[in-house]
Amino acid sequence: MSGVDAAGSERRSLGLLSVDETTRTRLLLAPLLLFDLLVFVVPMGYLVRVSLTERSTGGALVRGTWSVEGYRFLLDSSVVVGVFGFTMAFAVGTTLLAVAVGSLYAYAAWRGSRLTRTVLLAGVVMSMFTTLVVKLFAALVVFSPEGVLNDVLLAGGLVGEPLSLVNNEVGLVLGQLYVVVPYVVLSVYSTLTALDDSLVEAAADLGATPVRAAREVVLPHALPGMAVGGVIAFAWSAGAFTAPILLGSLGERTVAVEVNNLLQQQFDYPPAAALAVVLTLVVLVVLAVGLYGLRRYGGADGV
Amino acid sequence: MLFAFLLAPIAVVAVTSFSTTGAVAVPPPGLSTRWYEALLASARWQRAALNSLIAAGGTTLLATVAGTAAALAVNGLDDRREAVVLGLTVLPLLVPGVVLGVSLLVFLGEFGLQQTYLAVVAAHSLWATPLAFSVVRASLSRFDPRLREAALDLGASRPRAFVEVVAPNVRSGLFAAALIAFVVSLQEFVMTLFVSGPDTRTVPVLAWNSLRGSVDPIVSVVSTLLVVTVVLVVAVGAVVAGLERFATDT
Repeated sequence: MSGVDAAGSERRSLGLLSVDETTRTRLLLAPLLLFDLLVFVVPMGYLVRVSLTERSTGGALVRGTWSVEGYRFLLDSSVVVGVFGFTMAFAVGTTLLAVAVGSLYAYAAWRGSRLTRTVLLAGVVMSMFTTLVVKLFAALVVFSPEGVLNDVLLAGGLVGEPLSLVNNEVGLVLGQLYVVVPYVVLSVYSTLTALDDSLVEAAADLGATPVRAAREVVLPHALPGMAVGGVIAFAWSAGAFTAPILLGSLGERTVAVEVNNLLQQQFDYPPAAALAVVLTLVVLVVLAVGLYGLRRYGGADGV
Repeated sequence: MLFAFLLAPIAVVAVTSFSTTGAVAVPPPGLSTRWYEALLASARWQRAALNSLIAAGGTTLLATVAGTAAALAVNGLDDRREAVVLGLTVLPLLVPGVVLGVSLLVFLGEFGLQQTYLAVVAAHSLWATPLAFSVVRASLSRFDPRLREAALDLGASRPRAFVEVVAPNVRSGLFAAALIAFVVSLQEFVMTLFVSGPDTRTVPVLAWNSLRGSVDPIVSVVSTLLVVTVVLVVAVGAVVAGLERFATDT
């Protein structure tokens, strides 16, 4: 394809057409670039600017002032520092769990029969496209102390009293898994499709146990997909907002919840903006490191 | 087991939506459609459903047009520029929704544009456009560019070459991109929570508001209907584009 392109552009560069082709490219890119500029780059820049204004007692914004009070507030507040630490630990833990669970699921889908595969993939796509609120509300219905799971366990005599699976760390992680696992499954699955599954049979023929075949043949191929899935899971868990509010308790506040709290309840704009900026930077740095590692490893690019 | 973990809660909600009582219990004490009737009678929910459709329609249009145009253009770029465009396009997907929501709220607030449909569509497109872009790009990469060259050599104008040669060949990709944009908008919640207002809030936001008050059986009904909608959309997409491609492209 690149050969054809090269020949094509060479031919065009001989005449006026080359100008047209460049213009065409620019015109076609314009809507997207304009959109990202207006709705993403400029607002994010404005957020950085807001994070650098003076704090006021009356709330809201003091325009035109410069100050690092917002950032100083973050460092001085033990609450915020604690929230940040908790969020990172939560994001890392959830990511590891999500990658483990999602990879197993993807592997099952890939090894399964055509029907199994279709059903499993359809389940993931459906779960992915179900709105957060619905998914987490559903999880609440199942896992709460009066919920379905506890009813079943109590009725079966498996537990003496209801397990507390919501309004604590367990609920938070469970809920967030519902959010990120589908993305891990799809990214792992898409790398697995590039692998010929007769390789696994070859390994089995050569005497490898199924576990060993999976570990030595499939795992190396799946790693780039697991890394991409992990990166997505981390980015979204670090920014988790809905799951902590619905399934966690006051003790499990994440950075995103704290941003909302500062902004909507205390109207303290500079620290809220500063916290949002810091969160974004942390997420992007982790992503950059992850993707860099992936590229060095020679893995797939993009999402 | 994992499959059950993933989907059981949604099934439970679907069952409870037909319950006779307001309490969420499984098995429900009796079956009825009273909450469905309550939903149909509710002006708030009708408004939210209309808002969701407006937002999803606007997002589909904006994301598909911008995404497709850009996907057509990136082939004409050198590698470095292509990487920059790709990075910029995909970046919003990786920035936490709360941060995007806050930045849009604060920025659009300066122009009094918060809580408008425009704000909601802009926010949704932030996530729908990169997905539409990559879906169209993936299907363009399966298209033989020599076909377009041939059409141009035979005297077709560029728009005509696109309409008659390129578009039919990537039709399923365009369709899948539009569907994905639609679904992304339908289910987006965090950003919408920040940028929408009482007149523009979408179904997920109203569901959230209702849940914050108390357990509202109508939320079960709405959840069920939303899931059914998404299943239908995904099913249509799967038939048109093939489930496997649908799954791997997104």
